[in-house]
Amino acid sequence: MNRTRLIFVAIVVVALVIVGAGLLWANRSGAPVDSGLTVDRPEAVKIRILTALPVEPWVRSAAQEFNAGDFSVDGVPIEVEVVAADGLTALGRYDRDEFGALPPDVRPEDLTEAEQARLATFPTAWIPDSRYLVELANAAYKERLGRDVFLTDGEYRARPIAISLFAWGLYNTRAEVLEERFGAIDWSAIHDAATASGGWPELGGLPAWGFFKLVVPNPSRNVGGLAAMIAMAGEFYGRTDISVEDVTNPEFQKWLKELMGAVTDFSSSSAYTAEDFALFGYSVGDGGQLLESDLLQNMQGILNRWEDPLQLYYPEYVTWFDFPFAVWVGPETTALQKNAALEFQRFLLSPEQQQQALAYGLRPANPDVPVDAAEDSLFTRWADQGVQEVVPRTSAMRSPDRDVLLALLRWFELNVAQ
Amino acid sequence: MSKQRPPTSASARRRNSNLTVLIVVAIAATMFCGALFVGGGVWFFNQATDVDPASEADTPAWSPDSAELTVAVSPVMAPVFAELANEFNAQNQQTPDGQTMRVAATVAEPERMVAAALDNPPFQAMSPDSSLWLDRLEQSWLAQSGGQTESQIPIGQRRVSEQTRYAVSPIVIAAWESVARELGWPDRPIGWEDIQRQATRDENFKWNHPSTNSAAGLLATLAEFYAGAGLTRGLTEEAATDQATLDYVRAVEATVRFYGEGEEVIVDRLAEEGRNFLDAFVAQERVVIDWNQNRRGDPLVAIYPAEGTLWTDHPLALLELGGREGEFPVTDNQRLTYQALAAFLSSPAAQQKLLAAGYRPADLGIALDAAGSPFSGTAAVDWREPQTTLQMPSPAVVDVVQNFWYYTKRPTNVYLVVDTSGSMEGTKIDRTREALAAFVEQIRGDRDRVGIVEFASGTKDLVPLTAMDEGNRQALLTRIGNMQAEGGTALLDATYDAIELLLNEDDSEAINAIVVMTDGQENESFRSLTEIQRLLRSAPTPPVVFTIGFGEDADENVLAALAQLGGGQFRRADETDIAELYRIISTYF
Repeated sequence: MNRTRLIFVAIVVVALVIVGAGLLWANRSGAPVDSGLTVDRPEAVKIRILTALPVEPWVRSAAQEFNAGDFSVDGVPIEVEVVAADGLTALGRYDRDEFGALPPDVRPEDLTEAEQARLATFPTAWIPDSRYLVELANAAYKERLGRDVFLTDGEYRARPIAISLFAWGLYNTRAEVLEERFGAIDWSAIHDAATASGGWPELGGLPAWGFFKLVVPNPSRNVGGLAAMIAMAGEFYGRTDISVEDVTNPEFQKWLKELMGAVTDFSSSSAYTAEDFALFGYSVGDGGQLLESDLLQNMQGILNRWEDPLQLYYPEYVTWFDFPFAVWVGPETTALQKNAALEFQRFLLSPEQQQQALAYGLRPANPDVPVDAAEDSLFTRWADQGVQEVVPRTSAMRSPDRDVLLALLRWFELNVAQ
Repeated sequence: MSKQRPPTSASARRRNSNLTVLIVVAIAATMFCGALFVGGGVWFFNQATDVDPASEADTPAWSPDSAELTVAVSPVMAPVFAELANEFNAQNQQTPDGQTMRVAATVAEPERMVAAALDNPPFQAMSPDSSLWLDRLEQSWLAQSGGQTESQIPIGQRRVSEQTRYAVSPIVIAAWESVARELGWPDRPIGWEDIQRQATRDENFKWNHPSTNSAAGLLATLAEFYAGAGLTRGLTEEAATDQATLDYVRAVEATVRFYGEGEEVIVDRLAEEGRNFLDAFVAQERVVIDWNQNRRGDPLVAIYPAEGTLWTDHPLALLELGGREGEFPVTDNQRLTYQALAAFLSSPAAQQKLLAAGYRPADLGIALDAAGSPFSGTAAVDWREPQTTLQMPSPAVVDVVQNFWYYTKRPTNVYLVVDTSGSMEGTKIDRTREALAAFVEQIRGDRDRVGIVEFASGTKDLVPLTAMDEGNRQALLTRIGNMQAEGGTALLDATYDAIELLLNEDDSEAINAIVVMTDGQENESFRSLTEIQRLLRSAPTPPVVFTIGFGEDADENVLAALAQLGGGQFRRADETDIAELYRIISTYF
């Protein structure tokens, strides 16, 4: 072997040694050997769905069925992870960009490994309680990124997967007394009951019941609390559209504070208010305006624990929740994940799953599925307790804009929470 | 003509060839070694600079893949929770990466739990007796975080990330059945005011509520403030601090026999002393069930206060750690362990166990009046109750009530009898100084007085009872800081002196107590146990004597006898928990 060849061989050997040592070192430090060198087809496409609490039990159950089934996208099996999050809490996290959306000029491939790993937990889709929360999140990102992050039209548009509305739930014995005294159950009657200085005896009830106790979810933990405040404003003003001026009106604030004064404890009212209502019974609340599906899910529990069943009434000014399935359209999630999310969305809207939703007290978003379509539908089971398959003629409250939402939450923080 | 290479010998060629190979091998070896050296150097540097925070400053730490979840549990739930945690651990559940899920429980009073949770807590989850403590944690956390800007959605920045509840129990007034009947039970509703009236009318009526660092104590105190203000809801700061309200609360608090740690200790004392100990006390409903199920003798009944009560709701909350400098975040595996534990606590087996222990399970599918339930077939508890609850005021008003309680509660005269003999030299005397200082800091009432009898072969230093204003507190802390270890152990003489000093005060309105601590054997006293017994019996209201055996050589027989004579308690301590023990004892005052 001549010298030139030897030098050539030596260089090759040195290069191999360096590459070998480099690979050894990379392997030692835990970095994937093939990163950047090959593109592997993933074994499964994982998607995280941030899910509002009222639909979470149903969506979780559907996800288990979905994961056990043979669902795939482009031949890759789909794995759904459901993450429970109150709609307003999730909105707050989007608002503060806590999930870590990428700035407009940054691509996922520019990120370090640690940053990419963090991005792996980015929610693929969000099912908030109401469409207006999606709009508020879009508004926050439009300011930050200059574009919507959830689409309102096209293939990836947000689609409602179920609906529910806010209804009055009152313990039977208490409801009878209030009906006797006030006729209809509405915010005005509840306000008068709440401010009766003599408590239940003054209203015609038993002394042991104490004062009238109202159930309102804590608005900073449960979007239902905010919905209740919007409904109160709707009835106070006799219209469906509420402005910041309406919220800051001293007369309204006085009326609202008197109503809120009948709530016994905001600290123990968790995000699962209807469940608390059942767990602590009439001792903490005689009644309140809560989500119909939550009330229906807890009807049996209430009967198990307390002598008194719950009676449902439908208000004139109604707040609807439509639980939109909104797919994140930014580069933080892959095309495969987005399409997998759509596949799961289709699964939720299938007639079989929509019928399953009836057992959770949710009204189907698929118009082909009636509310009595399933044997275990809670709408037929609790019909004697005032549940109506067809909601009476009502006025739907319009979604509040961001400023109204902030004004209500600030008012609550300053006047009730503190 | 071609240019010919100069002829070379074979050996010369071989030499040249070998040289080249050697150079190449040397270069390769140098580069390889260099790579190893650089790599190894980086590894070594990382090892040297990745300082384990735990070793640096006692900061809680765990490995990034740890699946061990430490849960701080309130004392009232601790015994049942420990059993459930053991059952959970026996399942040996695995995380996806093969770690075994483990739950460790650590007992902490809710108020201290909240304070610890704010900064580098040694636990990742907490289970206080009531959600109101989580609310206070969030309020404090938000205040520490500096709040939010006006334009942000003012929600979601929390210290608690996930939360569930596994059992509830209303707070009741537990009373002997005969006492309850005398009050009118079960024919008429009985309220907080009835108990308060009975206690102020009948000086022999003995009742107790825990201090305000537990839900039961806080509720009883709130009920007093409500009654004092003539309200049942809408308690404001103004109403709570009105002089008439404070006078009323002070009069009621004067009837409380003592405060203390909570229901578990009360139950132990009831078992020992029976009806002589207390007529009524504030506790969870489950205590009544547990007592009636497991004890012989007079039954207890639960009185559900007519004005309303509160619930203990035993939340299990996972903390969102990592927001403080040097604070370890909760690992993914710990999060999985939390979720598995929450699921386990909600399982039918765990829920039935909680029911058997007297709790109302969170699973609404379990009916309380079903056959076999501890709620069926008894009049002592009633699953249909309570009918109403007291309104929980805002956190600001609760703070006011807690702070003003220290000024309205029964005052305390307490002598700390402290052994500073030669055997206390070294870390023992250091830990003792720290523990005494913590005790003095804990006594917050402006009418509370603390004195010290420091002894060895005889009394070395005596600080008479001193009101705990800021100046006196600092002076006392200085005296504590100057304590030195030397001499023998005249334990009984010092104890006798302290009791005599207290009796000379003749202050029957206050809680009079002495806290005796020694690490050794009595060896130099002139007085005897009999003389101490005689002295205590001579007093119409003798002081309560708490005793602490510090370390393994403490004279436990004498200390236990002293505690028995003085109607108090004997506890053992070592250098790790002496401060905590002094702090616990301070809650009795």
